[in-house]
Amino acid sequence: MSAIYTTDEYGRPFIIVREQDKKSRKSGIEATKSHIMAAKTVANIVRTSLGPRGLDKILISPDGDITISNDGATIMSQMAIENQIGKLLVELSKSQDDEIGDGTTGIVVLAGALLEQAEELLDRGIHPIRISDGFEKACKIAVAHLDTVSDVIPWSKEDTSDLFKCAKTSLGSKIVNKCHDQFAQIAVDAILAVADLERKDVDFELIKVEGKVGGELADTALVHGVIIDKDFSHPQMPKEVKDAKIAILTCPFEPPKPKTKHKLEITTVKEFEELQKYERETFETMVRQVKECGANIVACQWGFDDEANSLLLQHKLPAIRWVGGPEIELLAIATNGRIVPRFEDLSSEKLGSAGTIREMSFGTTNENMIVVEHCANSKAVTVLVRGGNKMIVDEAKRSLHDAMCVVRNLIVNNNVVYGGAAAEISCSIAVEKAADQVSSIEQYAMRSFARALDVIPMTLAENSGLPPIETLSYVKSQQIKQGISSLGVDCMDTGINDMKEQFVFDPLISKRQQFLLATQLVKMILKIDDVIVHRNDEQ
Amino acid sequence: MAGRGQMPMMQPQVIVLKEGTDTSQGVPQLLSNISACQAICDTIRTTLGPRGMDKLIVDSQGRVTISNDGATIMKLLDVVQPAARTLVDIARAQDAEVGDGTTSVVLLAGELLKEVKDYVDEGVSSQIIIKGFRRAADLAINHIKEIAVDTDRSDKAKFRDLLEKCAATSMNSKLIGSQKEFFTKMVVDAVMRLDQDELNEDMIGIKKIPGGAMQDSILVDGVAFKKSFSYAGFEQQPKSFDLPKIVCLNVELELKAEKDNAEVRVDKVSEYQAIVDAEWKIIFDKLDSIVATGANVVLSRLPIGDLATQYFADRNIFCAGRVSKDDLDRVCEATGCRVQSTTTDLTAKHLGICERFEECQIGGQRFNVFKGCPGAKTCTIILRGGAEQFIDEVERSLHDSIMVVRRAVKNQTVVAGGGAIEMEISRYLRETARKIEGKQQLIITAVAKALEVIPRQLCENAGFDTTDFITQLRARHAQDPEKYKWYGVDIEEEKVADLFKKFVWEPALVKTNAIASAIEAACLILSVDETVTSQKSQDPMAAGQPMPGRGRGMPMGGR
Repeated sequence: MSAIYTTDEYGRPFIIVREQDKKSRKSGIEATKSHIMAAKTVANIVRTSLGPRGLDKILISPDGDITISNDGATIMSQMAIENQIGKLLVELSKSQDDEIGDGTTGIVVLAGALLEQAEELLDRGIHPIRISDGFEKACKIAVAHLDTVSDVIPWSKEDTSDLFKCAKTSLGSKIVNKCHDQFAQIAVDAILAVADLERKDVDFELIKVEGKVGGELADTALVHGVIIDKDFSHPQMPKEVKDAKIAILTCPFEPPKPKTKHKLEITTVKEFEELQKYERETFETMVRQVKECGANIVACQWGFDDEANSLLLQHKLPAIRWVGGPEIELLAIATNGRIVPRFEDLSSEKLGSAGTIREMSFGTTNENMIVVEHCANSKAVTVLVRGGNKMIVDEAKRSLHDAMCVVRNLIVNNNVVYGGAAAEISCSIAVEKAADQVSSIEQYAMRSFARALDVIPMTLAENSGLPPIETLSYVKSQQIKQGISSLGVDCMDTGINDMKEQFVFDPLISKRQQFLLATQLVKMILKIDDVIVHRNDEQ
Repeated sequence: MAGRGQMPMMQPQVIVLKEGTDTSQGVPQLLSNISACQAICDTIRTTLGPRGMDKLIVDSQGRVTISNDGATIMKLLDVVQPAARTLVDIARAQDAEVGDGTTSVVLLAGELLKEVKDYVDEGVSSQIIIKGFRRAADLAINHIKEIAVDTDRSDKAKFRDLLEKCAATSMNSKLIGSQKEFFTKMVVDAVMRLDQDELNEDMIGIKKIPGGAMQDSILVDGVAFKKSFSYAGFEQQPKSFDLPKIVCLNVELELKAEKDNAEVRVDKVSEYQAIVDAEWKIIFDKLDSIVATGANVVLSRLPIGDLATQYFADRNIFCAGRVSKDDLDRVCEATGCRVQSTTTDLTAKHLGICERFEECQIGGQRFNVFKGCPGAKTCTIILRGGAEQFIDEVERSLHDSIMVVRRAVKNQTVVAGGGAIEMEISRYLRETARKIEGKQQLIITAVAKALEVIPRQLCENAGFDTTDFITQLRARHAQDPEKYKWYGVDIEEEKVADLFKKFVWEPALVKTNAIASAIEAACLILSVDETVTSQKSQDPMAAGQPMPGRGRGMPMGGR
C-alpha cells in the first residue's frame, strides 16, 4: 500500500493523515486503468439490452423485490454498484433519464466504448489529458455533424403520425412491443393533451400513470380524466354518477377540531347528550351545505366515520374518502373545481364538473377504481396500465415514460436524426475524416472516438443476431458510397437499411446529449490519477 | 501518539509530563516535519496546471469528491500531522483570500522547505533561514509589484477582456478547461452584474441540476431556485406573470396551533365552534392582508400549508413555501423587497417587482425563475452536467474563477501565469542574492530555486522534458530580463513562449499572496523545534488496540 507516510528521526513511520491505515490509495496509470476496467464491466452488463432485439435483465433487490427491465437507467440504479466509477456511470444514465428520458442504455455503452478505446491509447503512452482533448474535439465534430444530418419532422395537433413513429422507435426495445402501436398512440395522445404548445412546455405532473395487475397489456388505456385508486365509501352508493358536480374537500366529515390542544370535560349525562346532538347536527349541516351548493358527489381528502357514511348514503350523496393529496389536485385540475378547505366555503362555482364518474371493477378481485371522465378540463390525463404481473406492469410504465419523454422532446424541438445507429455511423465517418486533418497527437484520440461510435451499431447488430462486423462494414460502405446518412442497422430484418423508410427516428437533442454527456464523463474519469478511499472495516 | 515506545534509556526517568504524552524535539524533529510536508506536497503536485490530474476521494461516509482544487483536496485528506496541517491551512487561507492558486501555494511552501532541508541538517540556525525567507519574500513581492502590468480600467471593452483572460487562466487546469470561452463569459457576466463596490459573491447563486451537457449551463439575470415542496392546489396556481409583484415573508401560513403549549378548556359544546372559528380567522386574516397588498407571488421561508396554497390558487396568486434563506435573500436583492416577519403591517411598498416570473422545466426539475430584475445586483448560474460529482467540480472551478475575477476587478494589475512570473522572480532573486553577504545569500538562492517548482511541475504534469524546459527558461530570463520577462511554459504548443502575449494572465494579487503565505508557512514550520502531543483521551478506539507494555496507564482523564 502506497499510503502517505514518512519516518521520523528514529525511523519510525508516523501518521500524517487521519486513520491512514484505513485508507487505500491508488495512483497514476494504475488508477486510470482500474477505472476503465470498472466502467467496461458496467457497460458490458447493459450492452445486451440495447436495441429492438435487446434483452431484459432481472434484478432482485435486497428485500426480494423483483424488477425486470430493459431501461438502462433502471437497471443501473437497481444494481447497487459499489465502485466509484461505476457509480458515475449510474449517474450518467440517470442524467440522461432526467433530461431526455430515453437513450439511457446507449449512453452507457458509448461511455464504456470510449473508455475501452482510451485504454489502448494509454498503453501507447499518450497522456490521458491529450486523449480527452482529442475526444472533446471529436465530440464537437460529431455534434456539429448531427445537426447536418438531422431532419425536421413536421407535426401538428392534427397530424401526429411522425410523433407516433418516434414513440414507436423508443418503444421498440421494450417489453410492450407486443402492443406497439397502441402504446405509441397512448404516449402521443397523453403528451398532446397536456402540452402547452405555445410555451412548448410539458408538465409531466399532469400525466398520471397508474398500474394495475390483471388483464393484459392490450387493455392499457388512456383516460382523459383522472383515475383514483379508491372506491365509494359505502357499498350501496350508486356505481355511476352522470353529469357529476363534485365537491373537493380537504376537511374531514366530522365536527371541526381546534388545532390548539383542548380539553372537554363531560361531567353529566346531559352534557354528553348535548355533545352527541352537536355532532349529529354538524354532520347534518355539513351534508346540507354540500347538497345546497349543488354537488352530487363528494371527494374528501380525509376520512369520515361510519355514522357520517350512512348519513351520506341516506342523503344520496356518493362519496370517496381518503383521496391522496396529488389525486385531489389532479381531480381539481381535471374538473376545473376548486379545493375547498371547509364546509362554509362551499359554493356552486367551486364545484368541479365531469361527464361521468364511475366505479370500475377488475375481474374477480375486489379491487375497484374510480374513473372520472369527460372532464371540464382535459389537461389532466391518466394512463391505466394493465398487465399479467407486477413486473410487466412496472416495466410497461417505465417504457411508456420513455416514449412520452421522446414525444415531449419532439414537441420542444422537432429535429430528429435517424435511429438504428445511422447517426452514429454517419458521425463516425465524419470524425474519421476530420481526424486526418489534425496534425497533433489528438488525431489518434479522434480516430478512437470514431471507433467507439462504431460500437453502437455493432452492439445493435450483435443483439439482433446479425454478424456485427459484416453489418457495420456493409452499412458504412453504403453510407459513403451512396452518400445517404440515413442508412442504419436493419435490426428487425425487414431488408431495408434506410431508416427513413423504416421510420426509425430519435430526437436530435437526445443523441446530442448522449455524445456530450458521455464524452464529458469520460474526460472526467481520464483526468483522475489518484484515488483515496476510506475503507469501512466492518467486515 | 499514545502508547508508542520511547527510546530505551539507562538513567532513571524523571517524569515531567503526563504518561503517554509524546514529545520529540530538536533538529530531527524539524527534519521530520519537513518530510511530512513534502509527503503532502507529493500528493497534490500532480494537480497543477492545464495537464494536471484530478483526485478522487471517498470519505468515511462514502461521499465521493472528484477535484482538482488544491484547497478541496487538502481539506478532504484529513491531515493530522501538525506541521502538515499548516499547509492545509495556507491552502484554505489562499482559497478564502484569492480563491485561486491553492495548489501552487502548497507546492511552493513544500519546495521552500525541501530546499533548506540540507541547511537545517548541516546545522544552520532556523532563525537565519527564517530571516532569509522573509527578506526574499519582501524582495519578490516588491518585484512583482514593479513588473506587474497595470491595465486601463476606463476602457470598458479592454477591462472586460482583462477579466475574461484572468478567468480563463484559472479555468485552464480544471475540468471545464475545454469550454473556457463559454464559462469565462458566464463568470465575467456574473461578476459584472454584482454591486461593483461590494462584490459579494454570495449574490451569485449557483444551482446544480444533473442532466444536460455542461454547455447547457445558463446564466439567469435574476434569481432561480428549485420548486419547493408544494401542497395540493399548487398546480392550479398561475405559473407565469409579467411584471409580478413579489412579497417575501418569514411567516408560517398554516392552519395550526398558534401557541404550542396552550391548552384550551372547553366547557360547553357550543364554544367548540367559536374556537375553531377563531383559529380560522387568524390564518384568514394573514392571507387577506397579503392579498390586499396586490402581490402576485408570495414566497416564504417557512411552510405554506395546503389551505393557503388553495386560497392563493383561488385568487390567482403564486406561492412557494420553504424557500431557503440564500434564495430569499437573493430574491430580495433582485426585486427590492424586504423579508417581512409579520403580515400585520403589510403594505404595497414592501413588495418587490421584476419583469417576468415563470415556473419552467429545467432538466428533470421545475424551477422558479425571476427575470429582468430592476435592482438586480444578483444573478444565478444554473449548472448542468452528466453526474453530480461532475457538477460539483464545475461549481468549485467556477467559484475559483469568480473569486479571481472579483480580485481582478478590485486590483487591476496582472502578471503572466504558466510559470513565467515565478521564473522572473527566481532570476531576480538569484541576481540580488549575489550582492548580499553572509548565509542570507544561500537562503535567498534557495528561495529562487524553490520558485522554479511551478514551471517544473507544469512540465512534468504535461509530460515534457522538465530539465530541458527549465534550463531554456533560465537561459532566456538571464539573456534579456526585459525582453524575455514573460517567458514561461506554453503547454499547448509544447515550448517556452511569451505567455503575456498568449493571454495567460493572472491577477498579481494571486501571486503576491501565494508567495507571502507560502513563505509564512515555511517560516512557521521552521520555527517549531518541539512537538508535545497529549495522550489521546481514552476512547473506545483505544480499547481495540492493546497498548504495548507500560502504555496502559491509569485512566487519569475521565473528567
